[in-house]
Amino acid sequence: MKIALMGNPNVGKSTVFNALTGSNQQVGNWAGKTVERKSGVIQRANEQIELIDLPGTYSLTAYSQEEIVTREYILREKPDVVMALVDASNIERNLYLVLQILELAPRVVIGLNMMDLAKSAGIKILSNRLAQVLNVPVVEIVAAKGQGVEEFLSEAIRVGNLKKDPLRDEVPYPEELERRIQAMEHLLADTIWATKYPLRWLAIKRLERDSEIGQTWRSIPQNSKRSKNNDSCCDSGDSIKYVLQDTDTLPGEDLLQAYEVEGWSKDKFEMTVADAKYQYISKILPEFRINEGPIKRTWTDRLDEWILSPIWGYPIMLIILSVVFWFSFVASAPLGGAVSDGMAWAADMIVGLMQKVQIPVAIQSLVRDGIFAGVGAVLAFVPQIAIFFAFFSLMQDSGYLARAAFLGDRFMQLMGLHGKSFFSLVSGFGCNVPGIMATRTLEDPKDRLITMLINPLIPCVPRLGVMSAVVAAFFPGSLGAVIMISLLSLSMILVMFSAILLRRVVKQRERSAFVMELPLYHIPTLRNILLPTWQKTYSFLRRAWTFILVASIVVWVLSSYPQGVPMDETWAGKMGGWLTFIGQPLGFDWRIMVAIVFGFTAKETTLSTLGILYGVAADASQSIAQAMTGAMTPLGAYTFLVVYMLYIPCLASVVTTYKESHSIGWTSFGVVYNLLLSFIVGWLILHVGLFLGIQ
Amino acid sequence: MERFLQDVKPGEWARVEHIEGGGALRRRMMDMGIVPGVEIEVVRCAPFGGPLQIRLKGYYLAMRRGECAKIIVSVPEQSLLEPSLASR
Repeated sequence: MKIALMGNPNVGKSTVFNALTGSNQQVGNWAGKTVERKSGVIQRANEQIELIDLPGTYSLTAYSQEEIVTREYILREKPDVVMALVDASNIERNLYLVLQILELAPRVVIGLNMMDLAKSAGIKILSNRLAQVLNVPVVEIVAAKGQGVEEFLSEAIRVGNLKKDPLRDEVPYPEELERRIQAMEHLLADTIWATKYPLRWLAIKRLERDSEIGQTWRSIPQNSKRSKNNDSCCDSGDSIKYVLQDTDTLPGEDLLQAYEVEGWSKDKFEMTVADAKYQYISKILPEFRINEGPIKRTWTDRLDEWILSPIWGYPIMLIILSVVFWFSFVASAPLGGAVSDGMAWAADMIVGLMQKVQIPVAIQSLVRDGIFAGVGAVLAFVPQIAIFFAFFSLMQDSGYLARAAFLGDRFMQLMGLHGKSFFSLVSGFGCNVPGIMATRTLEDPKDRLITMLINPLIPCVPRLGVMSAVVAAFFPGSLGAVIMISLLSLSMILVMFSAILLRRVVKQRERSAFVMELPLYHIPTLRNILLPTWQKTYSFLRRAWTFILVASIVVWVLSSYPQGVPMDETWAGKMGGWLTFIGQPLGFDWRIMVAIVFGFTAKETTLSTLGILYGVAADASQSIAQAMTGAMTPLGAYTFLVVYMLYIPCLASVVTTYKESHSIGWTSFGVVYNLLLSFIVGWLILHVGLFLGIQ
Repeated sequence: MERFLQDVKPGEWARVEHIEGGGALRRRMMDMGIVPGVEIEVVRCAPFGGPLQIRLKGYYLAMRRGECAKIIVSVPEQSLLEPSLASR
């Protein structure tokens, strides 16, 4: 049995989904769309159920990617039952989607969530009355506590096993519209489309000139390796792909023309249909919703008075972000240190064992200086990344991030960006890959593209780690903090500059709308925090034994052969020698150039690369930086830091940009732009510094 | 008295008369429940000319001023309006 879980954003859909499927989840993307696809297979009383968590949407018009995916799924896959999750504290708008679902899917069960929030706002919902009015089973649940979730599912299974589709009343439309719908129904009744879709729905969509209903899609099952990959994290796609086969024009063009003359345009139909649904909801509302006493001020009202206050809003945001960054960068440092120590200890153990069984020295060196040094340097960032994403999930789930977008929108607007770009940019501080993926919340493709292209300019945790080690070596004491802040400010300025520049490069037809719900605050469940944190950290970890392992081995080989020659005679040294013509204007020697080139695979390896090149123990980041102090002036180091901070973060971010933008052109543009920007800004800083006589 | 939603003061209620323009923006507004006849309270404005926080049908929405300027509302006598009706 196929069951789909649907609902508005922020109604607790993922909580219900996580509670039902536990760890049997597959997370990937919808084929051809960058919308997350979650599914899970569960077993209940001899019944195998495939549960699909459809993206949260406000309606089923084909407007945003989420809505398209959701509607396509219902239309093409025809799930046996739809579990519609409804926020009881916001039932009026939630029912708008439910009415649209009811038009498309015959078997629906409503889950009434957030009853506690409704109660604290002074609203009482009579769920049995709601069930009677809509003729749909209603189950009360408290998703955060797991109450009623199992009952919700068993009710869905019961409805799925009914012999006949339940009948229900249709939304009454005003006479003028009803007459036109019936005329269209009459035209379409005997066509093949009427066998595919519910007739009434089809007629309305035809009146709204919905472009997708005439299309025939063929599904191609894909037997790629990917579909068999049961990895809970990184399955990257649907096993079924759709191909557009045919586009037919449905009958009724003459009728539509005639209606247009009468003043019933596409827009008017849309508006009247929507209006009728809302009217119907307000009409039935008093039957199941009771307002107990006057409106109570909720927790959200009280918190927003501070959090969104014109005076306190920004200081509070600053404090919250400082706490997040302090925990992820400062408080996590001992954990990162422990990981490096552990790796160094493990390397010693393994090399010790190898010595006993007399494995060649070259291989011992590969393990110690290549694999362990490279991978270990990267693993040391895992605690930072995990802590950052745990906080990020907390901010997102609690409802704070929407408030931050509200406060930040003015500044985003100045840069020509959308308030939601703020999510992506903040997330980029953790790691640019999820930062680029976070652009999915943006509805407008051009806004998405711009946000995606500027995201790499935000220094991620690993880059900040490398940078702070270099800063600590060259600029001891409080000067270091000033230098670090100056670097971060520089990146902010360049983010703004690039956004304004890209706004001119990327052509956009209409400016996108900023219409965003500010959800009620609530305390997220531990599971909803830890699961996405684990998924994001895991995908970072996976890089450690793919990209970074390979990169570490390559660096080791290039810098160790031919054997027994000085460092600048090795392959890496020679390569650096050829590249010095690029580094020359910036004062970079061959070692820095090699580190920059190898940094393309993953920038977090830069410290260990420099360690190998300068011939110091790779696990002690401090000593690598110290070795550099002999070779560079502080101004040179600052130039290096600027270039290092700005050029493309890593191969994974480039691959992600390509996957998200589906455009080789824009991906290459992003890479070239980043490289040019970093070298030009670096050159400017060096030469202005030299001119001012700074050493 | 008719005016744009943008010009409604924080704390005041207004009733949507009609929405100018069409296309994606109007559809998005429709999805969020902004249709003629609906009552909207402007809760607060973000500083420096940022977006407005509005309340309708018992939930909160953030919208830019530019978008609010497309919504034409009538502001009834505040004392005559029963706020508990619109607030939910």
